[in-house]
This record gives sequence, structure tokens and C-alpha cells, in this order.
Amino acid sequence: MANKTTTPSSSEGLAEAEKVTVTIDGREVAVPRGSLVVDAASSLGIHIPIYCAHPKLDPVAVCRMCLVRVGKMPRLQPACATVVSDGMVVTTQSPEVAKVREGMLEFLLLNHPLDCPVCDRGGECDLQDFAVRYGPQTSRFPITQKSHAAKAVVLSDKIELDQERCILCWRCTRYYDEITGEKELVLVRRGIDTVIDSFNGEPLTSDFQGNLPEVCPVGALTHRQYRFQARPWDLQRTKGICPECSYGCNINIDARDFEIKRFASRDNPQVEDMWLCDRGRYSVEKWSHGSRVRHPLIRAGGEVREVGVDEAVAEAARQLGEVLRLHGGGAIGVIGSPMLTNEELWLLQRLARETLDCHNCDHQLDELGNVSADEHSLGIAEIEDCETVVVLGAEPEANTPVLTLRLHKAQLRRGVEVRRVEHDASPASLGIKGKRLVGVIADEVHRAYAADMADALASGNTLVKRLTVTRGVNGRGAKDMGMLPTQGPGYSRVTGGKDGRQILHAASAGAIKALLLVGAETVLRGAGILAEKALAKVDVIIAIEPRAGIVANAASVVIPGHTYFEKRGSVTNVEGRVQRVSPALPPATAAPQETRVLAMLAAALGATGWGTGDPFEVNTMLSQAIDAYRGAGNGGRALWKRQGEPR
Amino acid sequence: MTLSAASRSEIQGYKARYPEPRSAVLPSLWVVQHELGYLPVPAMREIAGILGLEPSEVQAVATFYSMFLDKPAGEHSVVVCRNVSCALRGADELAAHVERTLGCPSGGTTSDGQFTWESTVECLGACGGAPAIQVDHRFHENVTPEVMDAILGRSRSQPAPSVGGESEAASTKQRGEPKTAPRAKRTSRPKRAHIDPGDL
Amino acid sequence: MAEYKLLTHAFGTKDLPTLGVYEKLGGYQGLREAISKFTPDELVAQVKQSGLRGRGGAGFPTGLKWSFLPKDVFPRYLCCNADESEPGCFKDRWLIDNNPHQLIEGVLIAAYALQVETAFIYIRGEYRDQRLLLERCIDEARSKGYLGRDILGSGWNCGIIVHGGAGAYICGEETALLDSLEGFRGQPRLKPPFPALKGLYGMPTVINNVETLSNLPHIVQRGAAWFAALGTEKSTGTRLFCCSGHIGRPGTYEMELGTPIAELLENHCGGIWKGRKLKAFQPGGGSMQVLLPEHLALPLDMDVIQQAGSALGAGAMVFMDETTCLVNVSMRLVDFYKHESCGKCTPCREGTYFESALMHRLEAGQLTLAELATLEDICDNMNGKCFCPLGDTATWFVMSAYRAFRDEFEAHCGAGTCPVAAAQVTALVPA
Ligand SMILES: Cc1cc2nc3c(=O)[nH]c(=O)nc-3n(C[C@H](O)[C@H](O)[C@H](O)COP(=O)(O)O)c2cc1C
Ligand code: SF4
Ligand code: FES
Repeated sequence: MANKTTTPSSSEGLAEAEKVTVTIDGREVAVPRGSLVVDAASSLGIHIPIYCAHPKLDPVAVCRMCLVRVGKMPRLQPACATVVSDGMVVTTQSPEVAKVREGMLEFLLLNHPLDCPVCDRGGECDLQDFAVRYGPQTSRFPITQKSHAAKAVVLSDKIELDQERCILCWRCTRYYDEITGEKELVLVRRGIDTVIDSFNGEPLTSDFQGNLPEVCPVGALTHRQYRFQARPWDLQRTKGICPECSYGCNINIDARDFEIKRFASRDNPQVEDMWLCDRGRYSVEKWSHGSRVRHPLIRAGGEVREVGVDEAVAEAARQLGEVLRLHGGGAIGVIGSPMLTNEELWLLQRLARETLDCHNCDHQLDELGNVSADEHSLGIAEIEDCETVVVLGAEPEANTPVLTLRLHKAQLRRGVEVRRVEHDASPASLGIKGKRLVGVIADEVHRAYAADMADALASGNTLVKRLTVTRGVNGRGAKDMGMLPTQGPGYSRVTGGKDGRQILHAASAGAIKALLLVGAETVLRGAGILAEKALAKVDVIIAIEPRAGIVANAASVVIPGHTYFEKRGSVTNVEGRVQRVSPALPPATAAPQETRVLAMLAAALGATGWGTGDPFEVNTMLSQAIDAYRGAGNGGRALWKRQGEPR
Repeated sequence: MTLSAASRSEIQGYKARYPEPRSAVLPSLWVVQHELGYLPVPAMREIAGILGLEPSEVQAVATFYSMFLDKPAGEHSVVVCRNVSCALRGADELAAHVERTLGCPSGGTTSDGQFTWESTVECLGACGGAPAIQVDHRFHENVTPEVMDAILGRSRSQPAPSVGGESEAASTKQRGEPKTAPRAKRTSRPKRAHIDPGDL
Repeated sequence: MAEYKLLTHAFGTKDLPTLGVYEKLGGYQGLREAISKFTPDELVAQVKQSGLRGRGGAGFPTGLKWSFLPKDVFPRYLCCNADESEPGCFKDRWLIDNNPHQLIEGVLIAAYALQVETAFIYIRGEYRDQRLLLERCIDEARSKGYLGRDILGSGWNCGIIVHGGAGAYICGEETALLDSLEGFRGQPRLKPPFPALKGLYGMPTVINNVETLSNLPHIVQRGAAWFAALGTEKSTGTRLFCCSGHIGRPGTYEMELGTPIAELLENHCGGIWKGRKLKAFQPGGGSMQVLLPEHLALPLDMDVIQQAGSALGAGAMVFMDETTCLVNVSMRLVDFYKHESCGKCTPCREGTYFESALMHRLEAGQLTLAELATLEDICDNMNGKCFCPLGDTATWFVMSAYRAFRDEFEAHCGAGTCPVAAAQVTALVPA
């Protein structure tokens, strides 16, 4: 547990901190100066029970569960708030400490309703766990004298609070104080009557409520969406990346009976720092509906035929090959999606450029102009190292909500000046001068303003780093992979082609004769009537698509695709962090994953040297092709050398 | 708006009095309770607005202190101390007498709305004159049931003494409207204002 | 050693709470001398030398506390603790009612020594008249240049803000007082950091009791050595003792420290009332352990009383005669702590609730002997484990009474009779 007082500077690769030696239960350990006793103990594998302490929050030492004997101090000390000193001797295992733990659990259970059988947290509740491990066997308090508080208080459409199960650890109120700054939950009344509540019982409005049940150590705060859905031991957990935006929050995907039940945070201090936004967390429901394409289809002369994958691939290759022969690659348009993995995107652009001689490829609709890695040089955690961060407009935080929490943390803990300004604010009016490191954050639409701002703020000693918020979970990966009309993999210079919207215009005008669409349903839907016109006009439409929709309905060849949670591969977040995804759900189709289908298609079109299309194999290939991806591995950042900056 | 202009400006005065505006919460709650007799929800929201706090923070504070009321009370307040020193000298009997006389239990209000009474367990700080009581915030010591009857009788016939604002001093000492800067959605602690000791 | 009127010498003088009268009796000479004779550091040294110890409860040496302030960190704050709500204690109110300017002068002397420009007096909500009185006196003092800008031509500025509480015993605890003053719920803070380093608004802060500060004008005027000679070696000066309960003349008496308790009781309090015998007494207010008649011979000396297993605390002496049921008194005090527990830490919040439930059943004769052992055990689980001393002290009286009057506690079990009440009934029945 990395505790707050010892939180290392956010940047990766830190110099060794000074160490002190402490003895805990007779064993010596060297820990960084400033560490807390509880952390020092855990580095020895010694467990000290805690309730109020939380790795991301300041210690308050209110639950008194962690009391231990420290040296010659007359009173027992809270391990969660006691800082180690050189030569300190700590005893955590003694009859004295055991009695206090037992006594404290007796107190905590005194007015607790003991309704574990119907509690969502049953099985993952610290109160249950510590009661088993350290608690008294019996209760000496008459059940009739328990004080009762309200049960199932609806705090919002997302969160329910059982005041009776609450152990008043203050984690939720501190979460609102320290992490979001919104103070929506507070302590009300005092003494034995103290409860957690919102102002006048009014509904919570925060965009980050879903974190509450996770900070709550017991079953007091629960997700309404997840109430009575599952017991934790029935859940199958897969590590993944939140599908909702390009921030790349690390999540655990908990599924039961082939259905996703919840997303839980996974704590990557470099990215989401364990806090998810409600949009991402509660997007769970989206993944359990929508009708799926399960079999390859060939549509001809008003008839639809279910076929095998091989036949569908052969037919697709035939149709594409014909257009290529008759009209050339310029008559083909290739559209992917920012929901695709890096491996899929890399293969798709390669298929377009190398096999179909086609430069009309894109992963979205808008004209992005000349993009460069420079606009992604600022890391998420690096925000804390800036002196000033300029946020242009509301879009960055609206698109990647968890960014707000990082900005708040930077402000609160590191004294970073956060300036929220209009897109077209004049740099001079901000009066930012003589700073070491300045961050400029904007969304993709306002790249030009951000570039001007960065240029104006940069000077001799001021380094300006930019963060551009991309769209879609892998919008950044799509750019890195070169799934762009004007740039190839690694932002290489290539022959230019049409962007997404231009492709659709050309298609509806008859200039584009074939479309290869991979997971493009959502992208095309964003184009509205234009997409419908294009789809109606073009005869050859090859679609790899997981869901039924306008694309699958219009395609001449449909090969079932896989949803985001059925795939293996990697995605790159807004700051260039390359993170692995693996299937959390079994595929809804027998068709192979997109990378394999693309490799088959390339082979059917006569290409060689593509391999089998295994995602790992493709990853190796693309990492060799794109220099910045070589060092990234799984979880590292793909970093491009900046002009004038040594690598 | 729930509060009168006078109360609002009194709160503004308190806000300017302290190094940090937040310190004005308690005096502001007193201002409200004096004006309205208790702390209605909209008033707490108004205090929060003036002091630049979340309403939840004001409520968290208001509910912590036992002298603040969350619902309207009677015209006069009667507090009978029953802590040890008073109990040793007959506070229990006195409290029983009050309960009989007023016809409602501790914490209750008489049916005519004249008295709200309470036998708090916090020592009133008048043990030398035990048993001691407070009526409308004024101390009475060595109270016997007869003395009690006299005090209640006197109070009943007149309105509660007007306290004319929380502080005589504060209301006469305002310095212009302090600037209320529009509050960013999330801010760290406000900067400490410099107060001129000459003004205190 | 006997009664000694230092702080209370002028009490009773007509209109003492007005500036003119106070000045006529030598008022604000202490402040004048402090500023003209001493540098702030010298003044701190004087207070150290006087041996003055805190009168708020813990008895910490005042000069030493002051010397903990870090050099060169400003602004600093001084808070006068007038939250007085210890059961049995009423001396601070008496000091304010009778001689408010003495306190204000004391606050200013401390503020000068500590180089404070904003001082606070945190006064409990129930003391509303006292707050208004202090505010009026501060206005008076300001009009004469004792506070405000360039005080007495020294170039030093200082103001005093009187801040009223709203009914919470815990706000007397120094860090809870700070939170309350800052506009939070009055709950104690985690220490370290101690207020001397990070107190009010995160700045160095000293918290002192009303009586402690009221001593300062006298220490300055009469000299530290003179003060140190008063009282005993380690408990110097006088203290105000709030005497209440079953005595002939309840009230506050100022005694030189070291005077035997018996003298206070017999010569000043008029002995135990109605010709009855003393059964037990509390020497330091509701928080402190019970003492017995045999302890009457002890001197009023902080360390001696501590060795006897109790403490002088805030100087509240509550005497109980032979008709007192210690179970009833314990129950009352436990209820007080339950009511006043801020709820911050588990053992205090839940422990006082548990304790209170047991005490009520004991009083009603429904407890078993085994449950009496439970009471002792949960007190042990609370004492020393709570976040602040409130939870610890919630066990002190009841446990000391249980130990001293075990028979009485046990007699309440099962049978449901109170032996004290029974004895009284028997006495009434003619033999
Ligand atoms: C629960 C509790 C209540 C207290 N109440 C008071 C009080 O009402 N008045 C007071 O002066 N000190 C009180 N104290 C002591 C203060 O914390 C602090 O020690 C004192 O104000 C310091 O002043 P002194 O050094 O002048 O004694 C209390 C302490 C505790 C733990
Ligand atoms: S609701 Fe949960 S997190 Fe909040 S105080 Fe209660 S137990 Fe702690
Ligand atoms: S974890 Fe240490 S007191 Fe709660």
C-alpha cells in the first residue's frame, strides 16, 4: 500500500528515497523515511487491520482498528498515522494488541445490523473479514439495545446508503473532500447519532459517485445498478481498459454467466489513480444488449446467404480485387473505428495501403490535418509536475472526466496552478511567465488553438507539453498506427488520401466504388444521412461488424466482428500508454478475431508475409515497425522524440 | 430569500472579520437562529452561498452543536441542568417539577407554544449555584420549584427579550460589501485575507 | 498556606467590569510594563520562570508551551479557551463576569509575548452574556489604545475576536476548539502536528485557559520570582477552586497551591452540609477519578493529587455526602460523555453508548455480576485507545468509583436495590 505521505513524485523512475530501519515484531526492515508504520509492516508481510486508512486519502486515525505498540510510548499508536523513525520498535502481535482489535470489532459491531446474508458486500467486506480474523466470538451487547439508523437511503439514481451498516470511517466524506472537492457527503449530527448524509438528503450530482462503494470498506454504500446482482465469489474477473473514452482507465471486468455485472477500478497510479467516472463505470449495461451478427453473410441480388468464413473472405477478396482492377485503389474507401485495437488498425491500414493501393483510410470522419506526436507529449501523471496547466475549453474534461480528478489532485497536493480558459484565450492575458513546465490540454477540435497557445508560452526556460484528448478508447492508437488519410504508422509521411467524410461524399457521388468497413457502424452513424446515401450508392461493401445496423444491412459481404470485450490486443490511451486488453466474455460468433480475418483477406488478395494474424504476432510486427512502440511494452508509454529534446 | 437584509449584512460582517471566511459559520448560524428561531434548510443554503461553502458543509456544522435547533421552538427556552453538581442538590426534582408544570417531557414544547424546555446533560457552568437553569439564555441559580414557578410566570406574560442581533459590536462595525468572487467549481482553500488588527 | 486573593482581589468592587474602575485599580499597568520592560522573548522567559502551569486541565507549563512556537513563522495566533464545560467547573465564567478586563489584559500580554496580531477568545455558547460583556470591554480597551493599532505606542498591533460556541463540550479540547473556530465540526485533530507548529489556519498557535491568562498581569507586575514563591515548588501561584455538591457554601475560592484540601472544605466551603459525612469527592471535575475522605489531608498540588490517582484538572471540586449513590453519579457522568462524544472515533462513540446502556441497567438493578465485569472490560478497551482524552476520561470516574465502592456496585446487580437508598430508608424507620 503506497500511502499518501510517501507518495513518490508522479513521474516514472524515481531516485531512491532515504531509508530508515524499523523493527516490527522482531524483524528489521528498511523503508523510505516518512513511511507509515502500516506500510512498513505490510512490506514485511505483516497485516495490520485498517478501516479508516486508505492509500489515496490522508490518514485520520478514527477507527482505532490499527492500534499497535510503538517503542516506549505510553499509549498504543495508530499504525495508519504514525510515521516511522529510525530505530523504532513496533509490536503488532501481542495479547495487548489482540485484545484491542477484538474490543474495537465488538464496538464496531455493536450497532451494526449484521444483515450480511442480504448485503452486496458479503464476501468482500472488511468488517466480515476482520471479524473472522481478529474479532470476538460472541457479542456481549443485547440486540434489543442496538441503536438503529436508516437503511437503504437512496442517495441518487446510482448510489444507495445503508446508514446502519456504516462504521463512520470517513472514507466517503474524505473522498469528496480530497479527491473530487465536491463535499456532497458529510457527517451529520454527532456522537452515536452521527450519520453520513447529503445536504438535506438531496440527490448526489457528482460525476464520480461510482467510486463511493469502492472506498467504503463495508456494505454501507452500494451501487444501485449492482444491487443483488451477484455474490463476489460467483464473478469472473478480467483485467481490462474502460471502453468509454481515451483516458485508458484500468478496470477489472466482473462477469457472471457470460454477462458483465460491473466494472471495478484497478488502480494504476499513472492513469486513473483508481478513480473511475460514472459514465465509464456504469456503461456496463451497454454491453449486454444490441443484436449481434453471428454468421458470415453474402448479400447478392436481394438475397442473403449464410456462408462459412472462408467463403466470405474469398468473396470479399474477389469483390475488392475487381474494383481494384477496374477502377484502381483510389476508388476504394477504408474506414475503421477508434474502438479497434492497435493490431487491427495497423493491419487495416496496411491492407489498404499495401494490398489495395488505397490511401483513403481513416478511423473517424473529421479532418485532422497534420497531426504529430508532439501534441501528446504531456503524460497524465506529469500534470502533477507542471507548475501551471492550461485547459482549453470544457471538452477535455467532458470527454475524459477522470482528468478532472487528476487536475484537482495536482492542485490540492502539489500546488499546481490550474487555469481553465476559453479556447481562444490570448496567451498574453494569462500572464504565465518564467515557469519551468507548463501543460496545455485541449481536445482534437481545438488543436490549432492549443498549438498557438503552446508556441506562445514556450520560451527559453519554459518547456510546454501538450495533451490532446482523442476520441474513442483507441483514438490515440489509431493515429499512432497511421489509420489516417495523411499519415502512416508512427506519423510517417505517406501519399495522402481522403478522410472519413470525404470518403462518404465520394461514395455517394459514385466516385468510390468499394468500401471496406471494420467496426465502422458507430462512426458511420455519426455521419447521419450522408452515410445512408453512401451505403445505398456503393455496391461493394465489405463489413466486419459485431452488431446489426446500417452497415451490416447494406454490406455485400458481412463477416461477424467482435465486441471490445471479446478481443485480445492492445489499445493506446491519450498520453500514449499502450495497454493490453483480453477477452472478458466469450465471443458471440465462431468467426475468428478481426486480425485473423484481415490476414486471411490479405492472403486472398495475394499478399504474402502477413503471418496468421495472431494478435501477439501482429503486436510484435507493429512494434518493430513503429519505433516508439518498441519500448512501450504492456503498460508503458509510446514516446516520440521531440524536436530539440534528447530522448 | 429566507433571511432579512439585516441578517445578511450581519453575516457579511462576520465573513470579513476572520482571516478565513469559513470561520463565520458559527456566528452566522447564530444570526439565523436569532432571526428565525431555528435553522431552516434554505437559510443554511443562504449562509453557504454568502460564505462560499457547500450547503452540506454548513449542515454538517449546524447539526453538530446541541444549541442549534432544526425546527421551530417555543417563545421561551428553559434549560434545566441535571449534571452531577446540580443533581446532588435537587435538579432531578426540579426537572420533574418543570415537566409537571409545563406538561411536556424534556425536549418538548408546551401546547401554547410558550416554552421549549430541556434538561440537557451538559453542565451549565453554574454548579456553585446548583441547581441552576437558563431561561432565554440568562442564568438563574439556586432554583427551587417555587422560584421556578415565579420565573416561568414572569416569562409567560412577556415576549422573549429581544437580543437585537448576534452581537452589538459586529453589526455596527461593517466595512462595505466584501467582494464575493465567483467560485470555481473546485478550488483549494481560499487564500487567507489580511486583516487589519486595527479593525478588530 | 491558605486562601490567597490574587486574581480575585478586586472582586466585588463596584463597576469593576468598566475600564475606568479597572484602570483606577492599576489595570493595564501589567500590559504597559510588559511592553516597556520586556522584549517578547524576555517575557516568555519570565513566564517560564514564574512556573505558571495551565489551568485548563492538563497543567502544562505555560512558558514552555509558548517556547515551542517556531521562530519567524507568521502570522501566529493565540486562542483563549473559555469553553469551560467540565462538569463542576464555573471559574472561567466567574472570572469573566467579575473582571473581564483582567482577562483581556492577560490575553494582550500573552499576545505581545508571542507576537500575535490576532487573538481569539473561544467562549461556550451558553455564556452569551459573558460574550457580550467581553465584546463591550474590548471596545472600551480599543478606545483607550490598549488594543488595535500601535498599542501604547509600541508599534505592535493586535486585535481580539470573541467567538461563541454553540453547545459542545468537546470544543474545550484544544484542537477541536481550533476546528470549531475555523468553521468545521468541533472535532479533535490528529496530533502531531501540534498546534504550536500547525494550529489555527495551519499557523503556529497557542491555546490557553481563561484563568491561565488572567494570571499574566500579576506575574508581570509582581515579578516572576514573586509568583514562583507562591504555592509549592512545582505548583506555583494560586488556583480557583469551584466547589459544589453537598457543602455548606458552594462557590469559587482562590487558594494558594499547596493548601490542604481539608482547609478548603472546612474553612471556606463550610464543610459537608446538614452535619453529614463526606463519602467521596472529585478534585478536578467530571473527568477525574474519585477521591475518598482519607485524601482530604492532601495538599492542593497538581503532582500530589496525580500521585493519589486523580488530578486537579480544571479545579472543580465536587463533594458528595454519605447519602450519595455512586452508581447514580457514575451513570450521570457516563450519560454526559455519551451525549458529548463527538463521534469521531470508534471506542468513544460506541464505547460510551455501551457503557451508558450498562449503567442504566445497573441502576435499574438489571445487570448481572458477569456484566459488571463486561463494564470493566469495555472501559479498558476505551481507556487510552480513543482519539482524544474525552473517550478516555469517560471511563475514569466510573472505574475509580467501581474500584473504591465495589460493594455498592455489586449490590445493585440482580437484586435491584441501591444500598445507599436502602440505608436511608432504614434510618427513617425507628428501630
Ligand atoms: C475533552 C476536553 C475538554 C476540555 N475542556 C476544556 C475547557 O473547557 N477549558 C479549558 O480551558 N481547557 C479544556 N481542556 C484542555 C485543553 O485541551 C487545553 O489543554 C487547555 O485549554 C490549555 O490551556 P492551559 O495550558 O492554559 O491549561 C479540555 C481538554 C479535553 C481533552
Ligand atoms: S458510508 Fe462507508 S465509507 Fe462512508 S463513513 Fe460509512 S463505512 Fe465509511
Ligand atoms: S486505520 Fe488506523 S485508525 Fe483507522
